[in-house]
Amino acid sequence: MKIRNIILLTLLVALFLGCAGREPTPGVTDSEILIGNIQDLSGPMKELGMALPHGSNLYFNYINGKGGIHGRKIKMVIEDHQYNPQKAVAAAKKLVEQNQVFCFYQVIGTSPCEALRPTLEEYEIPLIAPATQSGTMSDRSRRGWKYIFHTDTGYDKQANILVDYAYEQNGDAKVGVIYQDDDYGANVLKGIAEAEERHGITVQKEAYQRGATDFAGQVMNLLKGGTTHVIIGGVVREPIIVMKTAAAMSYAPQFLGISPTMDHRVVLGAGKEGEGFIVANFAQLYNSDAEGAKLYRELFENSGTDPKVMGMYNFYGFMTAMVLVEGLERAGKRLTRARLIRAMEGFKNWDGMGVFPGISYGPSDRAGTESVVLVANRGGTQQIISDWIE
Amino acid sequence: MKSRYADENLSWIAPLVLLVIAIPFLIRGVTFSYRYYLYVLNIAGIYTILAVGLDILSGYTGLISLGHAGFFAIGAYTSAVLVDQAGIPFGLSLIITPIITGFFGLVVGFPALRVSGMYLGLTTMGFGFIARRLIIALRAWTEGSAGLEVSNPVLFGFEFASDWANYFLIFTFVVAVVVVARRVMNSKIGRAFMAIRDSERAAEAAGVNLTRYKLLAFFMSAVLAGLAGVLFAHTMRFISTDHFDILLSIYFIIMILVGGVGSIYGAVLGSVFIVLLDFLLIPAFKDWMALFVAIEVADIQSLIFGLIMFLFIIFQPMGLYGVWLKMRIYWKLFPFNPKKRFT
Repeated sequence: MKIRNIILLTLLVALFLGCAGREPTPGVTDSEILIGNIQDLSGPMKELGMALPHGSNLYFNYINGKGGIHGRKIKMVIEDHQYNPQKAVAAAKKLVEQNQVFCFYQVIGTSPCEALRPTLEEYEIPLIAPATQSGTMSDRSRRGWKYIFHTDTGYDKQANILVDYAYEQNGDAKVGVIYQDDDYGANVLKGIAEAEERHGITVQKEAYQRGATDFAGQVMNLLKGGTTHVIIGGVVREPIIVMKTAAAMSYAPQFLGISPTMDHRVVLGAGKEGEGFIVANFAQLYNSDAEGAKLYRELFENSGTDPKVMGMYNFYGFMTAMVLVEGLERAGKRLTRARLIRAMEGFKNWDGMGVFPGISYGPSDRAGTESVVLVANRGGTQQIISDWIE
Repeated sequence: MKSRYADENLSWIAPLVLLVIAIPFLIRGVTFSYRYYLYVLNIAGIYTILAVGLDILSGYTGLISLGHAGFFAIGAYTSAVLVDQAGIPFGLSLIITPIITGFFGLVVGFPALRVSGMYLGLTTMGFGFIARRLIIALRAWTEGSAGLEVSNPVLFGFEFASDWANYFLIFTFVVAVVVVARRVMNSKIGRAFMAIRDSERAAEAAGVNLTRYKLLAFFMSAVLAGLAGVLFAHTMRFISTDHFDILLSIYFIIMILVGGVGSIYGAVLGSVFIVLLDFLLIPAFKDWMALFVAIEVADIQSLIFGLIMFLFIIFQPMGLYGVWLKMRIYWKLFPFNPKKRFT
């Protein structure tokens, strides 16, 4: 009798444990993985906000067409934050609570990403490939650092490398920097300060306000200071105007740019004044021979999109989508947020079909890449002129 | 002797408090995504405090301000620095910071003694820019434009770490500010403010000290903006100069215009309406539209926002509070309404 009771009880317990299945992961079903992207669709960076997700979807559709990741198709939901940090947080909460997304991907802008840190901690949800090159993204002293996987080489690191490059070219170089007086510029200045200390020099610093269209004062100061190498920490319009203004003053230093100035519109807009402009970039060009870039061009042409969209920012969306897909692939069939974080931490020099210099993460490393390649404008086309520089 | 407030109807306070307490429970009962809605309501609550202050200045006293984002930013950054770097308790910062911001209000208020109208608007707008530049320049404390992480509010040993807890903290202040502001506006001070708004010369002739009351209006308004800033910094837990731009100042002006200028309830209705519209209704409408039309450009959000402002100013110059007043009079007189009066 007793033995029968024990057997019955064991069976009951086994049945109970069998029924109590694992709690389902939000945003993951047998056929779909839902990811959340928060872009600037109607704010100051709306042009990028349209180009980036388009590039990402090119790759997601390609992967979905091949059967998805472990049988699951990727679906991306996009919210608009208008470059407002508080709206970014509201959008993130909406994506987690209403849409039940699995993870965040490619939120654009430094301050919106910084504002998300408490939310990432609260929901223990990872943010893969934030669309900002600010070095603060991989800063481990900040809240919620372990949920953010930054792919790009930070602005600080880029500025540092550019100063080194100037001194390699000319031992007597006098370096100046024109920077945007905001979070982007602050990170550039951090790198400049490190380079100043290393080389025992003083870099001439000229600030401008976001949205400025007149740089005559800054260029004149650099001319007066006798700078031979000028680092431009701008986006698209700023390097064009700076180089044209300098040419009008018959001032011809070597212009160097931080990665946001990589856009091919700079080459088009600056014309002959932009000849020789050298930019640091954290990945291969979209028109390079890397396998990933070839695939991008092929998928883009097949998509029938307006050719004007093709370019650095569209390709950036594509590249970061490769990072996310690789992470999801490595996380395995039983997908959870914790497993994705562990899988991402396993990246070691992963180059994404030759596009990246080698992305590495670890339990206490969220920096992604630490190198850049230098790209020069030669006769109106962008050409890579260096190996990966650390 | 009869009290000054004996005639005032105070019966609305209790239902108002009950409603405010009930709202989060109702939302939690209805939807799983209550934290998202509470977050939006918390923003609305913080903006309400600021809008009440702005209404005291612009609605009651007639002094336009396009620089309230500046006071708001000073409040937020001052509290973040005082609490996280100087080690002052949050409770103390709730008192000190609004007073510090109030003094900035006095400084800005001085030009108001000489200039008015659009020129005052420009002066205050200039202050908004200066405040932002000042915050960026004081990098050692504010981390410049990179933004600043801020600690959670801690009051009497209790840490407000969730949207749920923050709601009760913020709305305690909202109710207190609304009650106090209404009382003050019904007092000698409020009447002096309105006299200045309607005619400075007449007010002066009636014995209103223009200098004193104009500065007082600026001080009170900045104190409330500072209080809103403290709550904003510690409940949002991250502040950045990106947030406190000129558009935010205009956003506040729109709130009091849509709510109804010159009424405390109007400021409350306006700020809640605009925040809900901006954060919930327009995005929901956009999502709904996307089911039928392929919307590539998200500018539709700004378009709808602008259209609503436009229609309000043309057809409802008294704002939402005006609509409420009309409805109240309509039902009081029903069914003996004079024809065409309420159309």
